[in-house]
Amino acid sequence: MHLDYRLSEDRETDWSSVTEEDLRYRVALGNLVFRVGDKDFSADWGWIPLVDLAASFAEIVRKLEAGSASETFEFTESDAWVRFEKKGEKVLVSTSYGEGVGEIALHSASEAVKSFRERLRSELVRKHPQAAHNTAVKNLLGAV
Amino acid sequence: MNFRLITAFFLAFGLWLTVAQTTGHAQVQTSSDQVILTHSRLQHIIDRHWSDSTATGAGKFQAGITVDSLRDMINEAVHNGQARRNTHGRPGTIYEYDFQRQIGTTIDGGPATRLRVVVSNRNEVITAFPF
Repeated sequence: MHLDYRLSEDRETDWSSVTEEDLRYRVALGNLVFRVGDKDFSADWGWIPLVDLAASFAEIVRKLEAGSASETFEFTESDAWVRFEKKGEKVLVSTSYGEGVGEIALHSASEAVKSFRERLRSELVRKHPQAAHNTAVKNLLGAV
Repeated sequence: MNFRLITAFFLAFGLWLTVAQTTGHAQVQTSSDQVILTHSRLQHIIDRHWSDSTATGAGKFQAGITVDSLRDMINEAVHNGQARRNTHGRPGTIYEYDFQRQIGTTIDGGPATRLRVVVSNRNEVITAFPF
């Protein structure tokens, strides 16, 4: 599973005061790079709130690990979705906008999501040092 | 309750409405079952979901829908639509309503008849789009 992002340029946000709602809907927007096996579920829409996606994917993995059979991620500005269905130790991944079903081990999905969160947090803090002290950023992406 | 107290109450209420109307609320509501659409959230919807928006992967409203008709549609969806908690820890509530007529296009370009409205815990519209 290849989970990555492309962050759009942002020179307007005051990172000392961004709220959870900002991060969930309006700030740190970009593209999703998402391949599972030979299936490409990437979304290059430019407006995807990446902190929200990282936090939501992390919660989805936690729920699957805790025994949930299926979890669905809904994008914020459309009815597009990504569905994760647990089959034993594997997870089947499908989307409303891409063809086919990808398959991955649950522990691999968990590692990919963790890495995604950490890389996103590092890039945001490098580009916007005030983000490191923002409570909402810490809550959604974790502290250092 | 004496007359002066009642008069003071109505004066204060009128002043609150006047102030609220001049502080960025495109729509001032006075009861808890109605929602507030601020200018910045309205601009977000126009940028992302208006018929002439270039944003990809997002539902678009039909050409001809005005800001006033958008407000009416949002209120109708909140009052008559199906409500559910926002997903995966996101704050607020999602309302979905089927207008039984085309109100826009889906991300594939097909006809959209439904409206999804996301409302914050402060009763403010976060976003709204057809699907």
